[in-house]
Formats: sequence, C-alpha cells, structure tokens
Amino acid sequence: MSPGRIRKLVQGIEYFEDLLLAVILLLMIALAFAQIVLRNMFDSGIVWGDSLLRIAVLWVALIGAMVASRSGNHINIDLVTRWVGIQARWIVTSISATFTIAICAVLAYHSYRFVRFEFEDGFTAFAAVPNWVCEFIMPLAFVVIALRYLAILVYCLRYRQPMEPDS
Amino acid sequence: MIVTLAILALILLAFLGSPLFVVIAGAAMLGFYTSDIDLMVIIIELYRIVDTPLLSALPFFTLAGYLLAESNTSARLVRVTQALLGGLPGGLAIVAYITCAMFTAFTGASGVTIVAIGALLLPALTRAGYSERFSLGLVTTSGSLGLLLAPSLPLILYGIIVQQMNLPQSIDIKDLFIAGVLPALLMIGLLCAWTLWHNRSHPIPMQAYTSAEALAALNEAKWEIPLPFIVLGGIYGGFFAISEAAAVTVLYLLFIEVLVYREISLRQLPVIIRDAMVMVGGILLILGISLAFTNYLIDAELPNRLFDMIQSVITSKYGFLILLNIVLLMLGAILDIFSALVIMVPIIVPVALQYGIDPVHLGIIFLANMQIGYFTPPVGMNLFIASYRFKKPITELYLASLPFMLVLLFALMVITYWPALSLGLLDR
Repeated sequence: MSPGRIRKLVQGIEYFEDLLLAVILLLMIALAFAQIVLRNMFDSGIVWGDSLLRIAVLWVALIGAMVASRSGNHINIDLVTRWVGIQARWIVTSISATFTIAICAVLAYHSYRFVRFEFEDGFTAFAAVPNWVCEFIMPLAFVVIALRYLAILVYCLRYRQPMEPDS
Repeated sequence: MIVTLAILALILLAFLGSPLFVVIAGAAMLGFYTSDIDLMVIIIELYRIVDTPLLSALPFFTLAGYLLAESNTSARLVRVTQALLGGLPGGLAIVAYITCAMFTAFTGASGVTIVAIGALLLPALTRAGYSERFSLGLVTTSGSLGLLLAPSLPLILYGIIVQQMNLPQSIDIKDLFIAGVLPALLMIGLLCAWTLWHNRSHPIPMQAYTSAEALAALNEAKWEIPLPFIVLGGIYGGFFAISEAAAVTVLYLLFIEVLVYREISLRQLPVIIRDAMVMVGGILLILGISLAFTNYLIDAELPNRLFDMIQSVITSKYGFLILLNIVLLMLGAILDIFSALVIMVPIIVPVALQYGIDPVHLGIIFLANMQIGYFTPPVGMNLFIASYRFKKPITELYLASLPFMLVLLFALMVITYWPALSLGLLDR
C-alpha cells in the first residue's frame, strides 16, 4: 500500500473509533436515564440494563485507551521527559515505547486466552449475549495499543525525534 | 537478585515516562510470575471492572466536566458570584475562591479550572488592585480548590476503591460528600482571611452591589444554577443513586449547552466525548490493572508487613498521620491524582485502619494532600498549566503560590489532626 492509502486507512479507523465512542456513550446516557424514569415512575426497569451499562463502561474505557495511544498520550510520570532536551527525548520515548509494546503483547496474549476459555464455556453475560463477546474488546484493545506504540517507536528511530501529536 | 533488578528497572521505566498502566502491569506480571500464578489472572481482574457498581459515574461525570469546560459556564459563574458577593471586603478574591471551588467540584481538578476560570479572573484581579504576584498565586492554587466538594470525581473514585476492598468498616460515598464540606469551607475561609490580612495596608476598593446586575447575572445563568440542586437534591432525596445522578447531570448539561445556550455544536460533540473518554480510559485501565497488582500485594501481606514495619518506629496514630502527610504530599507532586488514588489507597487504607483511622477521614486527608500536591514545586501540575496559560516562568509561580501553600498546609494540619471536622456531621 502507498503511504497515502495507509494514511487514509488510519484516518478512517480513527474516525470510526471517535464515532463509536460517541454512540456508545450517548446510548449509555439514554439507558441510565431510562432506568431512572422506569424505576421512579413505573416501578420497573430493564433487567439486564445495569449489566449492559457496566460492560459499556469497560468498552468506552478501552476504546478511550486505544485513542490515547495514537500519540502516546497515556497517564505517566513526566518528571524526566519534561526536563530532558529535545535531542535526547526520542531515545527516552523509544525505550518506553519498546517496553509498552512488550507488556501490551503479553496482555493481549493472555486476554486472548481468557476470551477463548470463555468462548468454550459459553456462559451468557446478559440477555442472550455471551460473555466472550463482551470481553472481546480486551485483546483487541491491547493489540491496537501495542501497534500504535510500534508506530511511535518506528517514527522515533527513523526521524530521531519524538512524534508530535497529529503527525 | 534478579527480582530486585527487575523492580529497579520498572521504577526507572516509570520515571522515563512509560505509561503507568504498563508499569503496573509489569509489576503485576513480575509478582505473579515469581509466585507461579497464571498471568491470565491480570485480565480476569481487569474484567472485574464490569462488576463494580457506581463505575458508570466516572464516564458521565468526566463528560459533564468537559461540557462545562467547553461552554461559557465559567464566565456566567464568575458573573453571578461577583454580582452577589463582589460587595464584600476583599470581594473579587473571595469570588475567585468560591467560583474555583464550585467549578472544580464539577470538573474534578483536571487543570481546566485554571484555564477556564483563572484566565477570566487574573486580569480582573490585577485591575481591582491586587498585585500581580498575589493574583497569579491565587489562581494557581485555586485550580484544585473544591476537590473535597461533592460531586468531585476523585472523591467518588476514593469511595469506589475502598468499597472494592471489603473492609470491616464500610463506607458510603454519600458520607464522603458530607465529610468534605467543612474541610473545604475551612480552606476557603482561611484563604479569605489571609487575603484580607495580606492586603490590609492597601484595601481593595469594594464593588457596589446593585440588584439590577444581580438579577441580570442570575437570569443569564438560570439554566445552570439548578444543576447542583438537581444532583445533590436527587442523591440525598433518595431519587437516584450516585451513578444515576451522574447520568442526569450529563444529560441535563447536554440539553442546556447544546440546545439552550447553543455553545457546543453537535459537530463538536464527538470530539468532546472522545477527549473525555481518553481520560476515562486512562484512569480505568490503571484502575483495572491495579486491581490485579494490589491483590497480589495484599496476598503477599504487604499492608501487614508495612504496618509492622511502621509500627516498630511509630506507635502513635498522630505520628503515623504526620508520616502519611509527608508521603502523600510528595506523591501528589509527582503522580496525577487518579493514579495516586488507585495505586496508594489499597495499600494505605488497611495500614491506616490498624492505627484506628476512620476510612472516611482518611479519604479527606488523602485528597487534601493531593490538592496541595497540585501546586507543590517543582512539578505540581497546576504550576505548569498556569505557567503555560499565563506565559510566566515557572519559578515566578513557585514564589507566587508559596504563601497560599502555607495557608493550605495549615488547613491540612487542622483537617488531619481534628477528625471531628470531617466526621462531625456524620454519625460514625
């Protein structure tokens, strides 16, 4: 693929993530509000509503974490990166990106195992939705985070400068 | 030997700016691997997030904070407070403390208070006759004032984490909300008193109160003023739980900012939601991974060993509290508040309980320390945000915020060593 098409593809994925976050979150608000109205006014509620809401929290959190990895924007201690010069920063960034890729790969592997066990067990989380569907986001998120840090690492090694946001 | 080296490497990687969730995951892997436990346990613990009640409050309140920050709520809030309280001695400074505290309670001290309210107040303060250094110090330190007031996110997160731990002494987030009120008022009160005393030689002219301006300001903000009443009234009136209050808050804000004030367009909304969820994702990933790590630490009896170790040196409750304050102040200066809560609370709470400290009181102490950590040199976050926003060298901000810090440290002492201030309104 040409660089132009890769860029298009990446932009498309990023747009999809943004949209997915907005849709899930707005649905969560609607669901939570529906539960309040149903309980206070009709003394009823959606039986699996709370389960769905809590699984949705995991989903928005992990998609949010995927988005944060685009520019390596995770919560960290910036004591050192703030004070080292721009020349040295790409080295520091490369080291922490390598470490991040390794750890996320291990997390992705074990979450894949977890999802596979659950798939074989076949328990349902709520309504007719099986557990493994809800858990599927975990291996996906760690793979995406690892890939994004790989992109950051490649950029650092190639241009010998840290990646600026939106480049 | 190898384990020690690995631990040192992890600490080094943390300070080199690796994502904290990665560092904690690395620590958990090291721990479980050396104890021959399947690493899948980390993922199982992460998935336990879905069994945590109340957690949906986190994305909802975070988005609510972002909506408030993106609209002109800050300007309206300043105008109302100024119209009502500007006539008091020291008027504008008092206005600043109160608006910052209210705004932070809803936005959770993410630095947005300095950007949204500080930037409005700084020129107004200098115009009113306060010196530039004083004004800078005021807005920098007020950026985290209000952390103890409901419904601030760190307060809720502390409650969620402690509830996760199945302690003998349970805590209710509603209790935390009540416990934070008097300590927060003490901080604001002391800051006001210090402001008056500091400027005693050149009194600041007072602004006349006019009911026309008061009415106009109230009218402009008439949609936002009900918000705290809806949230707190709903919770304490028993109409909805805290997570539901969060949903109502965000729905109401979406309605007024998008449809009534029209300050946020539908097009901006996905971007605002995305930015808010990036923050939520960062916090929850650390929380989920830490659940695994702290479980390992608790299985390894770290809190007990820590207690025995401290107990051999410090036997009194108050001695322990002094140590706690020092550790937390340092921690608050290098870690952001959410990571600090998630990592430290599970370790500190069991130790503090053995010293006979109430978990609600501990939460207030913890957050009061974190609040000061926000502007503790050399790396408190508020200092950097203010330096960036107001284009001032960071060293100038160190000096400017120092006196305010001393006042708040005094407040911290009172809060720490006088538990009744936090617990008096509760029957614990």
